Amino acid sequence: MTMPLLGRMALALSLSAAAFAPVSASAATLSLWARASSSNAAQHMVDLWNESHDDKVELTTIPDNQMVTKLATSVQAGDVPDLISFDLIFMPDFMKAGFLTDLTATLGADPNQEKVAQAFKDLATYDGKLFGTGFTPDVSILLYNKDLFTAAGLDPEKPPTTIAELQDYAAKIHATDPDNISGYYFSGSCGGCNIFTQAPMMWGSGATLLPAGPDTPVMEGPGVVEVLTMLKDMWDAGIIPESAESDTGANFTATFETGTVGMQGSGGFAISSLKANHPEMNFGIAPLPGIKDGDQSSFVGGDVIAIPTGAKNPDLATSFITWSLTDEAQLEGLAKNLILPVRTDLADNQYFQAEPRYITTAEAVAIGQTPYAFHFNDMVNADQSPWLTMIQTAVFDGDVEGAIEGARETMLEIAAD
Amino acid sequence: MSAISQKSAPMARAQRYLIGAVCVLVITLMLGPIALSFFASIKTPAEASASPPNYLPQSLSTENYQKVIDYQAGLFTYASNSFLVAGMAIVLCLVLAVPAGYGLARFRLPGKEVIFVLLLAPLMIPYQAILTPIYLNFSKIGLANSHLGLAIVHAVLQLPFSIYLMRNAFEAIPREIEEAALIDGATSLQVLRRIFLPLVIPGVVTVMLFTFINSWNEFLAALIFMNKESSFTVPIMLVSVRTGRLGAVDWGALQAGVIVSILPCILIYVLLQKYYVSGFLNGAVK
Repeated sequence: MTMPLLGRMALALSLSAAAFAPVSASAATLSLWARASSSNAAQHMVDLWNESHDDKVELTTIPDNQMVTKLATSVQAGDVPDLISFDLIFMPDFMKAGFLTDLTATLGADPNQEKVAQAFKDLATYDGKLFGTGFTPDVSILLYNKDLFTAAGLDPEKPPTTIAELQDYAAKIHATDPDNISGYYFSGSCGGCNIFTQAPMMWGSGATLLPAGPDTPVMEGPGVVEVLTMLKDMWDAGIIPESAESDTGANFTATFETGTVGMQGSGGFAISSLKANHPEMNFGIAPLPGIKDGDQSSFVGGDVIAIPTGAKNPDLATSFITWSLTDEAQLEGLAKNLILPVRTDLADNQYFQAEPRYITTAEAVAIGQTPYAFHFNDMVNADQSPWLTMIQTAVFDGDVEGAIEGARETMLEIAAD
Repeated sequence: MSAISQKSAPMARAQRYLIGAVCVLVITLMLGPIALSFFASIKTPAEASASPPNYLPQSLSTENYQKVIDYQAGLFTYASNSFLVAGMAIVLCLVLAVPAGYGLARFRLPGKEVIFVLLLAPLMIPYQAILTPIYLNFSKIGLANSHLGLAIVHAVLQLPFSIYLMRNAFEAIPREIEEAALIDGATSLQVLRRIFLPLVIPGVVTVMLFTFINSWNEFLAALIFMNKESSFTVPIMLVSVRTGRLGAVDWGALQAGVIVSILPCILIYVLLQKYYVSGFLNGAVK
């Protein structure tokens, strides 16, 4: 019973071809793509929906930096998911490219949509039409190590309220043990990390950063020079550790966790990860400061949810989105799992009462902004982006004015495309 | 001559030690990263991301492995998909590369060299550039979001090298053997099946190994072609599992993923090593 080798191969091939025909979704199952870093939050919402609905939602996790490629190719092929949750910053580009379904008549008429944080409403609007809403938000905040504050003779309950104070406190913390303790940290080779954590200090002070069009102000106003100079001075004085220069974001959270960093711009997500991995750490959360007290601001980040063009179950998908804004979903799906609600009226809820640090982040949503910019990836996130080049030139090379001038030029070129 | 050998008795020993030392050094260089990766993978997540790192774990934990095993659809699903795709890619590759290699090595064809260069052409085009057009075409004929479609892509990526290797393997067989078979009345297919195939088994195994390893590790095509969590392969899960906010890396999960994903490759390599080495030489010396 010896079958010829070629025959066996052909048989195996035809069997496998028959067994693995294209997979198709059943009508009652919605597919939701979410980027990997927000998939935990999305999973909570999906689980809650699936508990109480006959139509199920199935989550697929897409690696963060592949989301644009993945969505673009699937829209072209007409093989899109029913729902998509992605970094809100891509919203303008996706709306302009025609990747998303107009939800003005449905979601726009939903009473809960009015209570959604303004940053999400602004960002999901293009040409007067609404294309999505906030899904799993996050905001940037100043993270500080209370033990290091105490060791430096600072009041751990009084985080800095201006950038001058921030610099002063950082110097004092560094002085307690100059060889081992750093006053401040930032990821020096990560555009996204810095738009999230340094930019709010600039726009809170009054600056306009990214161009909204070809003839709009870029990197203008109070805050740009001041924040860059502050970072440069701290770098020159050794208050920021040397590892900051080459950090592409890989150690964005890991460095603070070592307990040797006084302060760092970070996100609300740091609270739960620090509590889980470093229960011994005594840390505080504060709004990111500006030039004057009262200039505090934040970057409202996280994910938006939308329906790709050509999705097969738009009605059911829309009902999932409107459901996600209900009290039940916002409180039991998000707040209960210590994720910020999208609706500002639910910022102060029973789940956050036990952990006042969450109230601080929820309040940051109200004072926060999100830049509305096309080509955000080229301007900010890319390795050679003008935003990142500006920070590196200003801080590590010491040329603040030249850095800003260079960024203006390149950003306007990108905006003109 | 004898003077040299007498003089070299202590020197030969020194030489042996020296060679031994070099070997130890090379092995250390090769195994070092894997060992460090393994040590990092058995640390607690907090310790794995410590900076500066401890090279040896201070506390043991299976948490990182647990995370990799339980992530989303579960490691078993991703690994099954990867094995399935790699298996189909191997079958496709052999079915095409063995006859192609045989034809190119053993038959007089007009323009054979041109055909051979054409077959190697895919090596010269970065496949990332053509993935999207392939995906669009595949989705028209129902091959997108199917493991068979992905296996076809992986097989195509591997074909130039496989054909090259099989051609050299067939060429290495002495013509007398073929002639003897033909004189005995064998047809060319019989010659391939009864005489040549057993002789080129090392080449076949080498093709299998390379196809497996490349398919197992391939990320971009798998990401573009697959649309469901339950259809994803291991590399996609490995990228997702280590991703934190703003590009932060979960070092513990990353290292556990590295260890888990190299295990099948090491296992298959060790099992087939004997064939692989002779197959590699077959191709190399031609």
